[in-house]
Amino acid sequence: MARFAQKKTSDFDTKGTDSYEHGFSYSTKDYRYITKPGLSQKVVEEISHIKEEPSWMLELRLKALKQFEAASMPKWGADLSGIDFEAIHYYLQPTDKQVSSWDDVPADVKLTFDRLGIPEAERGVLAGVKAQYDSEVVYGSLKEAFSKDGVIFLSMDEGLKQYPELVKEHFGSIIPSGDNKFSALNTAAWSGGSFVYIPKGVDVKMPLQTYFRINSPNAGQFERTLIIVDEGAKIHYVEGCTAPSFSSGSLHSAVVEIILKKGARCQYTTIQNWYKNVYNLVTKRAYVGEEAEMIWTDFNMGSKVTMKYPSFILAGKGARGETLSMALASAGQHQDTGSKAIHLAPYTSSTIVSKSISKDGGRTSYRGLVNVGPHATNSQNTVICDALLLDSISRSDTYPVDRVFNSQVAVQHEATVSKIGDDQLFYLMSRGISEEDARKMIVRGFIGDLIKKLPLEYAVEMNRLIDHEMEGSIG
Amino acid sequence: MTEITKKITITDSEIVKLTEPGNYLIELTKPEATAEIFGSFSVSGEERAKIIVTIHHKAPQTLAKTNLRGVARDKAHLSFSGKIIIDEHCGSTNSFLTERILLLSDTATAEAIPDLEILSDDVKCSHAASVSSIPAEQLFYLMSRGISKAEAEKLIVAGFLRLD
Repeated sequence: MARFAQKKTSDFDTKGTDSYEHGFSYSTKDYRYITKPGLSQKVVEEISHIKEEPSWMLELRLKALKQFEAASMPKWGADLSGIDFEAIHYYLQPTDKQVSSWDDVPADVKLTFDRLGIPEAERGVLAGVKAQYDSEVVYGSLKEAFSKDGVIFLSMDEGLKQYPELVKEHFGSIIPSGDNKFSALNTAAWSGGSFVYIPKGVDVKMPLQTYFRINSPNAGQFERTLIIVDEGAKIHYVEGCTAPSFSSGSLHSAVVEIILKKGARCQYTTIQNWYKNVYNLVTKRAYVGEEAEMIWTDFNMGSKVTMKYPSFILAGKGARGETLSMALASAGQHQDTGSKAIHLAPYTSSTIVSKSISKDGGRTSYRGLVNVGPHATNSQNTVICDALLLDSISRSDTYPVDRVFNSQVAVQHEATVSKIGDDQLFYLMSRGISEEDARKMIVRGFIGDLIKKLPLEYAVEMNRLIDHEMEGSIG
Repeated sequence: MTEITKKITITDSEIVKLTEPGNYLIELTKPEATAEIFGSFSVSGEERAKIIVTIHHKAPQTLAKTNLRGVARDKAHLSFSGKIIIDEHCGSTNSFLTERILLLSDTATAEAIPDLEILSDDVKCSHAASVSSIPAEQLFYLMSRGISKAEAEKLIVAGFLRLD
């Protein structure tokens, strides 16, 4: 699966002069529907009307729109002043329906995903695939073996049509629309995303994948994902993101809600490689029941600004949460990432490991919260954040908060910031390794623990991608 | 942010001991300045204590070691907020921050915030924070040697709070 590998550029017009390899785009003139820029009650009603939604959803959207308008921009974190909410198209519908055969996908869209290597990957290693192009999911499939076991893997829009009760019960139950400005925006303008239900005791051994692609300039992508993992079930969900290289910014603001019932396990892997003009403001949260386990693996290397703090609410006795977060920021990028662990029940444990690399003036921040409530006795938490600075113009910050409301706990936090040591370089170079290779080896070693947690194909690609990013960064 | 109660400028080599809650700003302004900062706090009853320590490295080749320890009893709340800032062009700087809190009752609460803001690359910087009760194995060790539980707790707390 050569999704991240260097692609041959034949007769396509690849925009942009930097090394971003997914920077191509296609015309939007054949789109079935594009709303005018800006968000208003009319636009929200339009989106809801096109989707033929039940009235409760429209009400929810309109309520969220009011909350979005009333909320102020966050006063902390990254600089968001570059977002022009009025210039963004909130809904772009490339085709009128989702298809399940690759041959039926419109030519441009197909070409895009072919170039990204999606169908190849599906044949090889995935249980099911969704491909979202701007606002709509254009392609979806699920291997028969899994659908036979009762696994549901739909776009959120289909989910709402086919399982309205399930959606109504859980939609917004983990992340209410008023949670923050961007969750309100998402609730008002959501389109696409995945709806996943894994029935009791079903272990889905291959990952499900959704692929997100922004194709239009000034596009807003607001996917909404809801994953319900029933008792004892297991799932690994993977999402990947890329966008073309336009000079004007796009906005990606997703909401991901995950519900894990007793003894369930969910691993959610994100490989975010947006073009360096995309604002990526995402709210992700999991509700973890008794003895259940939630693992976030979060790799951020694209986008202009990312603000993302995958969280878990450990609500059942013995629940476990883990976040493995990696961020790479180069020129003009700010990766403000981290994780939140909310311990509410006894015998809960969580681990947060964050590794960040800043180069060419990029800035990475770790922002995290560990909250151990009064009833979460005998709970444990460990946070480790390591940062690597590759040159003197880059920046790294760490902003953790640990709050503890009972004494039967062990909460630990550790962080280090360092550069590639001259002694390390000297050691490798004295063994005949060039400086560039030596640097790459050290960086690879630095993030090695996290890469190991990825499925093999992704791990190989991730290493290659990081090598690619490191090219020519001797300094 | 509360107002700074005390500003300490370090140009040479100094040891700073903190015992009162407050907002401290410690600046290292000359190359090769070193600071060792110790803080030891004990709160009980309904007390709420907040200690903010900012260590600002404004010159290259500076070194700071900051060690904050605290014990909270009864319904007390103890908050440590430490921050290391290393300005641009302050290479060869080392700074380490440790915050440790022991909670001695189920109703005592604590907050630990160790921040880092690093704008230079040639630095070694780390922070560590922990909040816990007295580890059961430490108590067991002392009690197995004939020391009562109350006495053992006292010894462990005294050792924990000692400033050196």
